[in-house]
Amino acid sequence: MTEATISSGRILTAGFLALALSGCITSRVEDAREGITGIEAGESIVILAKSYHLGNETEDKYINCVEDALARGSKGLRVIPHRQFVDSLFPWFEPRTAPAETKGLPKLMQRPGVAERIAEQNLRYIVWLDGDTDRVAGGGSLSCAVGPGGGGCFGFAWWQNDADYSAAVWDLKGLESAGSVTADISGTSFLPALVVPIPLIARAQAAACKGLADQLRTFIVDEPQA
Amino acid sequence: MRSLIGAILSATLMAGCGANVTLDPVTIPTPLIDPIPMSVALRIPAEFEHYVHEDEVLGREKWRIDLGRSNAALFSQLFEFMFDDVTVLGPDDDASALAIDALIEPSIDAFEFSVPSQSKTESYAVWIRYRLKIYDSAGDMYANWPLSAYGKSEQFGLTGDEPLKRAAILAMRDAAALMIMNLDKSTAIAALKDRPAATLASGRSGSAASEAAPEEQAAGQKKTQLPKRREVALPPPGPVAGPAVLSMDPDQDDTRESVPEGSTND
Repeated sequence: MTEATISSGRILTAGFLALALSGCITSRVEDAREGITGIEAGESIVILAKSYHLGNETEDKYINCVEDALARGSKGLRVIPHRQFVDSLFPWFEPRTAPAETKGLPKLMQRPGVAERIAEQNLRYIVWLDGDTDRVAGGGSLSCAVGPGGGGCFGFAWWQNDADYSAAVWDLKGLESAGSVTADISGTSFLPALVVPIPLIARAQAAACKGLADQLRTFIVDEPQA
Repeated sequence: MRSLIGAILSATLMAGCGANVTLDPVTIPTPLIDPIPMSVALRIPAEFEHYVHEDEVLGREKWRIDLGRSNAALFSQLFEFMFDDVTVLGPDDDASALAIDALIEPSIDAFEFSVPSQSKTESYAVWIRYRLKIYDSAGDMYANWPLSAYGKSEQFGLTGDEPLKRAAILAMRDAAALMIMNLDKSTAIAALKDRPAATLASGRSGSAASEAAPEEQAAGQKKTQLPKRREVALPPPGPVAGPAVLSMDPDQDDTRESVPEGSTND
């Protein structure tokens, strides 16, 4: 056996183990279209979190994850980093001042320099993220002990995380709502321990990021559904 | 030796409780606004420039938050964007020789924060209540506007220092956005442009002037006979924010009634 064969065998084993040792995930990703979408070469989008003044708690790392997922790959969209966008339009996209509905867009566009700054960035869509990941349940017990002869853990613990996010898509071409995409992911993780704890982690937030980003890309590009 | 080890152990354990946070001067992006065509002076009181908040969370964690020059830097920068001409004055500077339309004096009424152990969330939050006192060119108080700003940051890093700093910076940025949106709406400061001081003193409907005592109103009527003057006779640096007020309750604020009608933080 060559070294390359051994190496690929190890990778496959690691991949299989990772798959087998992950927790349990259920997911539902849906979209609701209100208008015709599409994006031309050179046009860009921006991903923003709804204001925390309104009680929204979308995590920064989730926004970054969706940005990266949309920009990645050969069909990647042109995504303006959210902080750069907010700074470039200060103070009109601050948590206090950002428009809450599309009917606020015409007034916003009339403010000095706003329409020009948006045109400079060739911005076509604003995507507003709402939602967060919460631990909704958990149980079991796990205890660990260390002694002169060694240590170990015994028991079983589990927990459930729900990642519920929605993305409202605003089309700046017509200053109207294009629709929305939602992702509801529930992940249950397990931690059995018989001397050595074996974590079986369900990455609900990562699954919600990938699911929402894939659906958003399809929604914006207006690709036919498979 | 034992006491030395004990002291080191105690210091290590104490290091995990609370923090000492010092903010660097804050900068804001250039706002997309048309500046108000006015000449104003901004007086930075000493307490405002060196504001320190100390608090004990749940009786255990001791926090000391030093806002340092961040507020002075923010307000100087903001007003330079908001007005055509701005002169920044120190607490002891005399403004009487300046030809200005208004003088603005900011202060901090209250500072509050919350950490995850209090709020049972993963967020750090900061509330700052500022107060802007605006004097006309005669040196009379023209408006007195309290504004509340809020900033929130998720937990990141190993300690609470950086998230709390970020929450404070976001609260200051929130205050800047609020002032850009509502300063003129809430204080009518633009009306002070090139207006005779006498007119200003008597022409404030629904503002602090209309709620003033009868003898002050009489004095105001007297002022209407004065000729227009551009040289200002501003009051000496007055008492500004006292010690940090723990409560954010507006009902505890005895100066609130002198806020012009229609003042709002929204």
